[in-house]
Amino acid sequence: MSSTAAQRPNGLALFILPSALLFALFFFLPIGLMATMSVLTGNPVVMPKVAFTTRHYARMIDDPFYLEVIWTTIRIGLVTTLVALAIGYPLAHWMARIKSRTGHALLLMAVLAPMLTGIVVRTFAWMTLLSDKGVVNQTLMSLGLIAQPLKLMYTETGIVVGLVHIYVPFMVLTLTGVIGRIDERLEQAAENLGASPLRAFIEVTLPLSLPGILAGSLLVFALAISAYVTPILLGGFQIMTLPILIYQQISANFNVGFAAAIGIVLLVISLLLVIAYNRALGLVSGQRELQ
Amino acid sequence: MMKALGSSRFSRRRFLTASASLGIGTIAAPYVARADDPTLRITGWGGKWGEIMKAEIGPAFESEFKCKLQIDSAFPYLPKLQASSRSAPIYDVMHTNSNEQWAAAEMGLVEPKIDPKLVPNLADVYPYAISDKIVGVSIFTSAIGLGMRTDKGYGSITSWKELWDAKYNGVRGGYVIPVNSLGQAFLMMCGTLFGKGQLDLDAAYTALEKLKPIKIVDFTGAMEKMLLSGEVGLCVIHDSGIYRYDGQNQPTDFVSPSEGVLSLEQVLTITPGSKMKELANAYVNYMLRPEVQKRLAETVWYSPANKKVKLDAKYDAKLLTTPEKVSKLIQVDWKWYNERKDEIDQRVNRIFRA
Repeated sequence: MSSTAAQRPNGLALFILPSALLFALFFFLPIGLMATMSVLTGNPVVMPKVAFTTRHYARMIDDPFYLEVIWTTIRIGLVTTLVALAIGYPLAHWMARIKSRTGHALLLMAVLAPMLTGIVVRTFAWMTLLSDKGVVNQTLMSLGLIAQPLKLMYTETGIVVGLVHIYVPFMVLTLTGVIGRIDERLEQAAENLGASPLRAFIEVTLPLSLPGILAGSLLVFALAISAYVTPILLGGFQIMTLPILIYQQISANFNVGFAAAIGIVLLVISLLLVIAYNRALGLVSGQRELQ
Repeated sequence: MMKALGSSRFSRRRFLTASASLGIGTIAAPYVARADDPTLRITGWGGKWGEIMKAEIGPAFESEFKCKLQIDSAFPYLPKLQASSRSAPIYDVMHTNSNEQWAAAEMGLVEPKIDPKLVPNLADVYPYAISDKIVGVSIFTSAIGLGMRTDKGYGSITSWKELWDAKYNGVRGGYVIPVNSLGQAFLMMCGTLFGKGQLDLDAAYTALEKLKPIKIVDFTGAMEKMLLSGEVGLCVIHDSGIYRYDGQNQPTDFVSPSEGVLSLEQVLTITPGSKMKELANAYVNYMLRPEVQKRLAETVWYSPANKKVKLDAKYDAKLLTTPEKVSKLIQVDWKWYNERKDEIDQRVNRIFRA
């Protein structure tokens, strides 16, 4: 009886088929094509003779400029993630623990409101604040605090400011769900046993919220290293990141192979950092590896 | 009862079928009616150019040649052409700047020359429009020079070299050289200004290094906004980017440096795999017609390539409309540039890195 049931196809599994096909078509196929293009001399669909090559990867390794671009991209991603976590965690904690429904709704609206505006618009708003003729510099100059405009734009700091503003809601929303599911009685028990509120938070709430920290951080990191609009506009093309380099190769150098190789490198970096982060947090939380 | 319903002349099923057919027919009618019209797929800019093409120039062509014009104004065009089949290209006619046209020609994506027998108006264009520096035909050109604010007390500017004056630190504007034609042309100008000529890249790199601090943008439209807002005071720009604000009392002006102005050509080419060759040639010929050239030139402030075009006095005074004015244009050897583009890009990316 049980073997018959095991052999019978699960009708519910058929519901997964469309999404599985969609995933295969729009996720695995493009990545597979990108990986293929990165080791070919041209596009086999439109060019008669293409050959296998490793020159696109060799070019990246041989030229330190590309290694510097990779490091800049990772650095911007890491700093954005840390700042978003530092800002987002207290806010998420507050949202998860607030007793008033109205208060929770107001906080939620405050977090979601920026997401109702497009990234380009929000980045332009930052430009009006941070540019030489922007609100910040003009205010400081009119108050006589500075003689020359501060260099707020066209720097990594400017890019991080813009990215953090855009991606903090992702961190907050991810963390709120996880923190909200932590039983408050655990913290109360710790305090009853003599722990200060701070120690109860560090020893109980923080470790239990690690899955949320992990998920939120990975989400923000992935979005930050693949961001294009904000680094272009706030970096003024003077801060080169991998997505900008990919666009440049596609749109102006027409070198699809090299662009694909950069894309694969970006993907591999993301995967390696995800694995490393996963293991590190797993060790911190006392598990061998987070599942 | 069932039989009576089944034999009814007007059943619910028939009603639904008729309604659906009518609905689909209504939606599809315009497309079906025009299905027989040949479609010419072209590229073209947005902004003022796109507006007048959509409102006047395009419909007039469609009406005269009984065809449909499908315009792609979502830049960049060449990667899309590159990704499409050689035998069934995504465009029949490509309109873009000269540097991209050269790259396309090198890849075999566009025909290097236009046949004068098929495009009679080619006989009336200035020599620069079909020179050995041009793939296809240049239908318009802009002059790349300097744009300046007139309200900052900078005084008279006559030379490209004044862009290097320290007083413009913080308000100097340029382009992302790897992606912008004006930036690339300016790099070649640096070789002429400080070295042995356009091809002196080392002199150009040294000059660019000394140009910092500089605010760089990817599109001329962005530079126009920076100049208008006062974010930059002196910048590399084409004349159209200044003149198009004529009559708005903007404190900006275009400077034609004494060393000459660079040519920013608007070039048309035909793709080898196009199935609409006759129509494509007709389109190129149409775009070179004096009346079409005049209308476009006076809308977007581009200098017409056709010698026979007579512009109104206001435009004639500022645009390149005589052989003498046109002779001041400096054309860039894009074939040479494109062969070294990767090397140049790597170098300038380093130079302008913060």
